[in-house]
Amino acid sequence: MLTFYLNQNKIATSLHHGTVLLDFVRRESRLPGTKEGCREGDCGACTVLLGEIADEEIKYRAVNSCLLPIGSLAGKHVVTIEGLNLRENTLLQNAFVDEHASQCGFCTPGFILSLTDFLLNNPTLNFEEAILAVAGNICRCTGYESIKRAIKLLLTEVESRIELSLDKRVPELVRTGQLPEYFNTIPQKLARLEFDVEPENPGKIVAGGTDLFVQQADKLLKQPLQFIDDGQQSREIYRENDQCIVGASATMEEVRKTPVFREILPEIDTYSKLIASKPIRERATLAGNIVNASPIADFVILLLALEAKLILQIGSASRTVDLHNFYLGYKKLDLQEDEHIHNISIPIPNPGFKFNFEKVSRRTHLDIASVNTAAFFAVEENKITDARISAGGVAPIPLLLKNTNAFLQDKIIDPAIVESAMKIAAEEISPISDVRGSAEYKRRLLQQFIFAHFHTQFPELIGAEVLA
Amino acid sequence: MPREVTLKVGVGKNLKERIVEIPDNAPRPWDGSDDLKYVGKRVPRVDGRDKTSGRAKFTFDIQLPGMLHAKFLRSKYPAAVIRKIDTSKAIKYPGVKAILSVQDKLPLIVRFAGQEILAVAAETAHQAAEALKLIEVTYDVRKFVVDKDLAKEKNAPTVFNTQVEEKLTEGDLPGEHSEVTQKGNVRGPNISPKDATPEKIDAALASSFAVVEATYRTQVQTHSAMETHGVVVDWTAEDKLKCWASTQAVFAVRDELAGSFKLPKSNVRIITKHMGGGFGAKFGVGIYGVMAAKLAREAKAPVRLMLDRKEEHLCVGNRPDSVQSLKIGADNDGKLTGIKLISYGTAGTGTGAGTSGPAKNIYEYDHFYSEESDVFTNAGPGAAFRAPGHPQGAFALEQAIDELAYKLKIDPLEFRKINTPNNEIRQAQLKIAAEKSGWARRNPNPGADKGPIKRGIGIANSVWYYFYGRNFQVSTQVNNDGTVKVTNGVQDLGTGITTVIVTIAAEELGLKPSDIQVSIGDSEYGYGPASGGSVTTGGLSPAVRDSAYAAKMKMFEIAAPMLETTADKLAAADGKIFIKENPDKSLSWKQVAKKIPGDNFIAIGERKEDYHKLDIGTIHGVQIIEVAVDTETGVVKAERVYAVHDCGRPMDLLTTESQINGGIIQGISYALFEDRILDRNTGIMVNSNMEQYKIAGALDTPEIESVVLNVHYGQSSTGAIGIGEPATVATAGAVGNAIFHATGVRVRELPMTPDKVLIALEAMKGASS
Repeated sequence: MLTFYLNQNKIATSLHHGTVLLDFVRRESRLPGTKEGCREGDCGACTVLLGEIADEEIKYRAVNSCLLPIGSLAGKHVVTIEGLNLRENTLLQNAFVDEHASQCGFCTPGFILSLTDFLLNNPTLNFEEAILAVAGNICRCTGYESIKRAIKLLLTEVESRIELSLDKRVPELVRTGQLPEYFNTIPQKLARLEFDVEPENPGKIVAGGTDLFVQQADKLLKQPLQFIDDGQQSREIYRENDQCIVGASATMEEVRKTPVFREILPEIDTYSKLIASKPIRERATLAGNIVNASPIADFVILLLALEAKLILQIGSASRTVDLHNFYLGYKKLDLQEDEHIHNISIPIPNPGFKFNFEKVSRRTHLDIASVNTAAFFAVEENKITDARISAGGVAPIPLLLKNTNAFLQDKIIDPAIVESAMKIAAEEISPISDVRGSAEYKRRLLQQFIFAHFHTQFPELIGAEVLA
Repeated sequence: MPREVTLKVGVGKNLKERIVEIPDNAPRPWDGSDDLKYVGKRVPRVDGRDKTSGRAKFTFDIQLPGMLHAKFLRSKYPAAVIRKIDTSKAIKYPGVKAILSVQDKLPLIVRFAGQEILAVAAETAHQAAEALKLIEVTYDVRKFVVDKDLAKEKNAPTVFNTQVEEKLTEGDLPGEHSEVTQKGNVRGPNISPKDATPEKIDAALASSFAVVEATYRTQVQTHSAMETHGVVVDWTAEDKLKCWASTQAVFAVRDELAGSFKLPKSNVRIITKHMGGGFGAKFGVGIYGVMAAKLAREAKAPVRLMLDRKEEHLCVGNRPDSVQSLKIGADNDGKLTGIKLISYGTAGTGTGAGTSGPAKNIYEYDHFYSEESDVFTNAGPGAAFRAPGHPQGAFALEQAIDELAYKLKIDPLEFRKINTPNNEIRQAQLKIAAEKSGWARRNPNPGADKGPIKRGIGIANSVWYYFYGRNFQVSTQVNNDGTVKVTNGVQDLGTGITTVIVTIAAEELGLKPSDIQVSIGDSEYGYGPASGGSVTTGGLSPAVRDSAYAAKMKMFEIAAPMLETTADKLAAADGKIFIKENPDKSLSWKQVAKKIPGDNFIAIGERKEDYHKLDIGTIHGVQIIEVAVDTETGVVKAERVYAVHDCGRPMDLLTTESQINGGIIQGISYALFEDRILDRNTGIMVNSNMEQYKIAGALDTPEIESVVLNVHYGQSSTGAIGIGEPATVATAGAVGNAIFHATGVRVRELPMTPDKVLIALEAMKGASS
């Protein structure tokens, strides 16, 4: 039996572990407040909170229930809209009512859950962060203007009533009536919960499932599954000598928050805003992004420029592959059957390096890039000692621009070498025309981005006039 | 006996007296002299609590005991003839209770990828989906065409071999029914004016001082309501049908089901308590509704049939695309001389690609000529979509107007004033919009910003029309404990009619909005409007007020002897009924209600003809939009919008503003993101999801300042007019004009995605160097 808590109720179920939570809450538990809009994690109507004990404290995060298999829920706490307001509306809900932030209302529960996650987790409760928290929620009545007003009202109310320290947010939100009282009892209840998921080994490995459950939800219901997102060990992110090691089931958000990774990419918060939505980043793993092998995978483009390596495993045997050698062709990997990514190793660069990430998509947020690119530069007195520029959307695989990088090696940065690099880059890519733009446009865009890498990192050497 | 009342009517504070004849038993219409307590103020949504707590139940959420789940098998080919369907394996699949073809007899002609073939009902949705995989369909695959330009060619595969009957819904413009010829895939042209020839307009334009001519292209947009189309059907007796429907028109759904199953209307009940958006695509019962009812009858169990996101994109409506060749001219004093529009577009297997509304109805000029054609393609049928034809038409027209203004070196806002001299409302709106946006401070030269990010400001006009419907029946029930319930069949598709009803009733009865209960969304209640074409508020609100007024009169009759006076001397406010001349002599609403004989009474209000025709039959809007264009990447961001709209007398400002803001943001989404893409080699939609069919999110939205300009007509007891449509008409055109002002480049194709903007910028560079 799979056991977990759903709102204040203990659940024990023998349903197939590949059943997605959305179907479970709506069909089995008859809780219709969680809505279905797209079943692909792109609309946020099905957002719920997933709570689990980590470091002796319960942590909640907003996730898309349409992509979350119940097999990942053992010992955890799921909160739906019905679990938020047992008696009275909260400040958040009242703000939505007062500011007319709900029109047809089908998306509203999702917005409420995303913003509850914001209240639970954001170190700073400001407007910009709150809007980012709902970047993955679509309102087709496009009531965003009223939703923004509701958020402003909420923040004013919260400021005057709630103690903002980050630890002990749950009891504080309970004390002020923003969460029902049963939340305080959940940690003890989870601790007492007896759950032993028998690993269906050998089964298909499922970590975050954010791509798998879009592509093959039906198939996953017919085979044994092996959930690896629970293994605390495989989620670890730590420093080992001059490397940052990322476990195979570490999520994008976990990586983002880890100090050692932030040392490598201090701007990760900025880049993160351009990558998926928060509920997706809360579940999606780096390893999953890598093996999915999309030619425009945002995180892979970052990792390519960071010279990441993969430690692959079959049984007890392991080997190491450079990430840029891992892709053999469109969706073809240097990965044998039964072999899987054990962890990802990212070298920690020497201080003083420069890094930049650029992406253009139709929508700025929660969209697939037309072209994305990252650049790592090590420089000594204007001389490039190491250049690693990667690009997505310009070839069948996420690409390290080897010719461009080789050209840049040991060059002194000046407008002429940037122009040459732009030309070389345009020659070593092979974009195709598709829904995200014509081949010509992508080629042009990458050239502009190469310029932008230099312009943003070395503005005193490469001014805006170079491009004109 | 009719009586005459003198009303203050006019635009904003510019009021004049008008004598209006009204029925004796009707309230004096609200006019410009009335400052009301709730009407026109900000009344929060009455269903807000249910919606924020997840308690609001949509059709999507209805669960009945023993309910089956149904799914369609849909054609995977865009054109085919189906002569054989083998369901023998599927019917044996566990849980399957019924399988029915959409057509009793084969062959079935398939005209688009996604067309319904048959439907399966099973105990679980999963079983239905699995059973579908076991059905063997023998397709005789035919040639197809999804590109409207290829479809126009002589040897193109024809989508229909017979004449197509145009089907209009309540979301379409009335009177647009066109008697036109159909040849190959082209239905048309529909020529306007009827007896016009191109020679006259060509001559008028040839003698004009300045002329601009260009071709504009707009894309197909899908409605993408968050709640998909669908129904839950329950045969409560052999000849009695109960149906929960996600619909914009409960009465139309009832009539269609009654017709399909040859049932008396009184045996069919449609319920729509909460509804997750429609935008024009949810008027009829749909093939899904009929099939669900058939399956339910066959399986003798309730059936739920809700479409999924992909089906929503493919099969149940879209805004047709367009190619518009527009030629307009003006004299050297800036007066428009004429407009010539040649337009075609595809609504797939449907009709409705006309775009001439804005060109015909915004500006004042002498010569007009338009040819509009529908081109049939092997794609899902179009449907009415928020101001059908108008965002398309305004995108082309408003850029052409702008271009002509620049050519004449006349300020684009001034140019719009010059050419709408007799429209007092538009003149007022242009003035307000100019003030709000600081238009006078704008740099007159396009592309003036230095640096890669260039900012610009653009303006566009909007137009829609006043429709209101007739004979709606609203009842107000007052119980002897003082509680009040207002009832009508109308559905609330999210726009907020429930709140509007409460606001009006509270105002009229002198009670608080929280004192009023509302029951709507049920075909067993009094006749109500379909929610489309901006009809609902203008149509229903007078019946609501008249019903509440009649209830108030009954209460006055009861109160009169209690207060030792006559009913005509009484008034109601703040929960009290009192003598007008002596407000201290009062009774509480509840005290009077206690004396209601029996348990309660019901007072009916009926929507009748307006008291008089409006002097200007259009409703208007002006939108000014500021954008930032990244000239290195082509990315456009709408940063700020100033919008001025009119809708007669607004009933609840919160819902009115939400309609305007939502219209603008949907317009920005249309301008920059949304695009249904069909693969011309396979005829299949490549972005039938929300991952690649992009809709604006919270971070894509500009700051919006919207102004509702009160216009008092005195045409009905409330003076209300709808606002849903006009709010989205101007936006894409204004964005286009702002991009031009930022960069000096015109992007004449929607959506204005980074690739198109960058290519347009490159083309200009190429041309100038």
